[in-house]
Amino acid sequence: MKQPHTFDVIVVGGGHAGTEAALASARMQANTLLITHNINTLGEMSCNPAIGGIGKSHLVKEIDAMGGIMAQAADHAGIQYRVLNASKGPAVRATRAQADRVLYKNFIRYALENQPNLSLFQQGVDDLIIEGEQVAGVVTQIGLKFYARQVILTTGTFLGGKIHIGLDNYVAGRAGDPPAIKLAQCLRALPFRVDRLKTGTPPRIDGRTIDYTQLQVQPGDTPLPVMSFTGNVDQHPRQVNCHITHTNEATHEIIKQGLDASPMYTGVIEGVGPRYCPSIEDKVMRFSERTSHQIFLEPEGLNTHEVYPNGISTSLSYEVQYDFVHSIKGMEQCHILRPGYAIEYDYFDPRDLTATLETKFIKGLYFAGQINGTTGYEEAAAQGLIAGINAACVAAGKEIWCPRRDEAYIGVLIDDLITKGTTEPYRMFTSRAEYRLSLREDNADLRLSERGYELGCVSEAQWQLFASKRTAIEQETQRLRALWIQPGTPAAEELNHKLGHSITREYNGLDLLQRPEISYSQLVSLAYFASPQVAPQVAAQVEIQTKYAGYIARQKQEIAKAQQHEQTKIPAYFDYASISGLSAEITQKLTQIKPATVAQASRISGVTPAAISLLLIYLKKSQQETV
Amino acid sequence: MLHSEVELETIVAVATPRGRGGVGVVRISGQHVTHIAASMVGKLPSARQATLATFKDQNNNTIDQGLVIYFPKPHSFTGEDVLELHAHGGPVVMQLLLDAMLIHPCVRQASAGEFSQRAFLNNKIDLLQAEAIADLIDSHSKTAARCAARSLQGEFSKKINTFIQQLIELRMFVESAIDFPDEDIEFIEQAKIKQKLLIILDEMKQILTNAEQGCLLRDGVSLVILGEPNVGKSSLLNALAEQDVAIVTGIAGTTRDVLQQKILLDDIPIHLIDTAGICQTRDVVEQAGIERAWQQVAQADLILHMRDATQLNENGIQAQLNKHSKEGQKIITVNNKIDLTNLTPQVINEKDTVTVNITVKNKQGLDLLKTLIKETIGFNETASTDYLARGRHVQALKQAKEYIQRGLSQLKNTKAVELLAEDLRLAQQVMSEITGEFTSDDLLGEIFSKFCVGK
Repeated sequence: MKQPHTFDVIVVGGGHAGTEAALASARMQANTLLITHNINTLGEMSCNPAIGGIGKSHLVKEIDAMGGIMAQAADHAGIQYRVLNASKGPAVRATRAQADRVLYKNFIRYALENQPNLSLFQQGVDDLIIEGEQVAGVVTQIGLKFYARQVILTTGTFLGGKIHIGLDNYVAGRAGDPPAIKLAQCLRALPFRVDRLKTGTPPRIDGRTIDYTQLQVQPGDTPLPVMSFTGNVDQHPRQVNCHITHTNEATHEIIKQGLDASPMYTGVIEGVGPRYCPSIEDKVMRFSERTSHQIFLEPEGLNTHEVYPNGISTSLSYEVQYDFVHSIKGMEQCHILRPGYAIEYDYFDPRDLTATLETKFIKGLYFAGQINGTTGYEEAAAQGLIAGINAACVAAGKEIWCPRRDEAYIGVLIDDLITKGTTEPYRMFTSRAEYRLSLREDNADLRLSERGYELGCVSEAQWQLFASKRTAIEQETQRLRALWIQPGTPAAEELNHKLGHSITREYNGLDLLQRPEISYSQLVSLAYFASPQVAPQVAAQVEIQTKYAGYIARQKQEIAKAQQHEQTKIPAYFDYASISGLSAEITQKLTQIKPATVAQASRISGVTPAAISLLLIYLKKSQQETV
Repeated sequence: MLHSEVELETIVAVATPRGRGGVGVVRISGQHVTHIAASMVGKLPSARQATLATFKDQNNNTIDQGLVIYFPKPHSFTGEDVLELHAHGGPVVMQLLLDAMLIHPCVRQASAGEFSQRAFLNNKIDLLQAEAIADLIDSHSKTAARCAARSLQGEFSKKINTFIQQLIELRMFVESAIDFPDEDIEFIEQAKIKQKLLIILDEMKQILTNAEQGCLLRDGVSLVILGEPNVGKSSLLNALAEQDVAIVTGIAGTTRDVLQQKILLDDIPIHLIDTAGICQTRDVVEQAGIERAWQQVAQADLILHMRDATQLNENGIQAQLNKHSKEGQKIITVNNKIDLTNLTPQVINEKDTVTVNITVKNKQGLDLLKTLIKETIGFNETASTDYLARGRHVQALKQAKEYIQRGLSQLKNTKAVELLAEDLRLAQQVMSEITGEFTSDDLLGEIFSKFCVGK
């Protein structure tokens, strides 16, 4: 019997965006096809073998709250876990897992293969089938046609990919994989604005040839952190250490001498690289006063000797790479397994997308991941999730959904992309989120699970787990709110002893917990406030919510204020040219970006408050005319 | 934000102050200016050149002769086509010129500040400058005019901007500590953050003092004279106003209603309010007057509680005043008629009260009172009054100061660097409401240009 060729949703690409997109769509009952050029590289970590980190773990936990796979995979593949910013407050804490590449990939592949409603197929995609302004399917490299009204492209670095090592370069999607040249040509024929970006990766080292005895050890955290809300430490494989070494002046000298063979410094590479993840040659040149840069030596897995030297991504020639690597402490005798390289690829201006990541020109066509100018597995996965959810929604005739900036880092990510666009690979940072204190990794489930459950992408089991946690948090908060302590009572004596001074009026448990000098554990260690069995995550949540209460209340006001403009919608075909007084530049920007709301318009760079008041005037005027 | 009345029609207004003057200017702005120019002065004058012309009405009757200047867009004050007619001052000529323009259906009279608003909407001026122009127009005194002119040139904006720069630098350190904890970049020590915060706070206080002075100069204060009948309230009003505004008699209850007068005290506009004497009365008119007096008290910045120095033993209206006055309202007790006692003119500062002894009749102690008024409303003669600030600016500055102070206290709690960061963000946000936006991406740009990040 012939295989079916018609689906609700087709996902092109099996990386981090593609897998979350396909899984979300299938979880929501859409008949989904994931098509990849190579099933063996599903869930591949092409660069740094780590999940999470500052800003990124927030995305991972939000994906998790929406039923996604990334956090679970990290829990089953993580060989070292750390909580970054542990010494700072909960809003900026971030979990990071060093992952075993193979374990990670296996977990993802297992999940994909066992997901109901999801089919996998191995073939490169060369072309799209487009009917008028509606996508209708894809054509593979041997001419097979698959049909769907919703197609999600997650092409990563494969579109027009070109690898540079020194002045040598060749077309590739990743070291060892072919690029998608025909698809790139086909997409370039569509009216999207396209440009080139660049990213890099360091040479990989054989761990047996590194002299660790001279190096600083960096162990994981104890107790072991967990990434997924449904995960636990028993899922973690064996844990290992990372090590830290540094470049030195000799290293920097070798790099400076080798710049004449640098594709970046000789102008061979046109694409723009990320400022926050510069190559080692960039660091040496731009911060010439620094005599040393730190390098993290991260094991790539439990069953391999391969080591990822984090901090020396480079596109210098192999000879220069060899020399500078050998000048680094502990690496004097090391063997390079794979040369470092830079890769240039096509990306499309994300301002041509709507908040669901659907393109504005072709209905049913979605872009997610590096194709939109982002970098990072987590950023890609977050976009994949949103594209997958919305493709499934549209396929089922349901209402679309995208979180707002005040609801999730995912909302910040997408709003930044579609409103401001990007000229360098976009990475998430906590400072991008204006409502950072409300958007924490610890409360991602509280923020999103309910929505995920309503949409049908959160399983019943996950929902039950979440619902009981939420109830426990409410109960414990209520309990502390109802417990009043009176001055002069024996209970107050015990409290006074702890505080070092006497209370003079009555307080309830939450009042006390709000004080910086009292932690939850200290509070419940008082006999009067002694708690029944409360799970650690529940206790932590009660404590964080109470400690931040004042600031959160302030942010809620700010959010409510912003909501007014958020609710003022701009018609899709609003004629900005009809507004006299708008500068040509602003008119052009608004016409190109077509903001959906006045709030989005106000976030476009260069759009002045005066332009917004003009816009409001004309919106009001056109409303009055139509009434 | 939303001005639905703005239809962007052609608007016209008399640009010079009301009343008789040597020259009066009528200004018209909008897309129909060329058409109006043709009909009133015969032809469109050369751009930006003062041209002698005869101004005519729609029936070709001459109204006046004067200069006409045409500013084609966008090089005009409003960014639109603008025509100015400089005619002989005087209300009649001005009205005739206005009428001649308003006869055209596409032209309407500008509402207050509408020219500035157009300029603002067309990006010719920023909000600060627009407000400074408004200030310039209704400045009450020469000093205020000078300050408004300076603010227009961006003195205030400049000061605020340096301050914001300092905030950004600090935020850069704090945010990079949060977003790049694994990098071996030198993070600023806590002590240094504290030091920088204190410097910023100091700077803020200075700007605030200046801005508050500016606010005083612009808005002035309202001062209510309150007291029992016949203690000399109206006499004091007349003395301060240096003219006979109020009818003064020896008969208690002469002033039955609220009487107002604007005066300048060292360039500070003061809104003097004389009130009916407070007493127990069955007279309905007097009762109404007393009711109004208390209403004035509720809105006053400063209250002069006048007493008869010969009858100080009695309780008087102190208790009632305590009930009606609000927290933060300043009260000066004025003992009048000391010429009938053995008291001398002087200021007596006690714990919660300040009292001044005067006699209006002999003009003794009046200078003491004036100085005391200036001191009490916070006018600082030595402070520079370069910035004519809006209440809005002062409010923003105060709020920013509060955030920074709270941020400072968060520093003690070392774990709360994210709360310090939040306070700094909020401080910068309220400041940006004065001068313009600053995005998180701008901040990241600062971080990347300063630090080597990317492990």
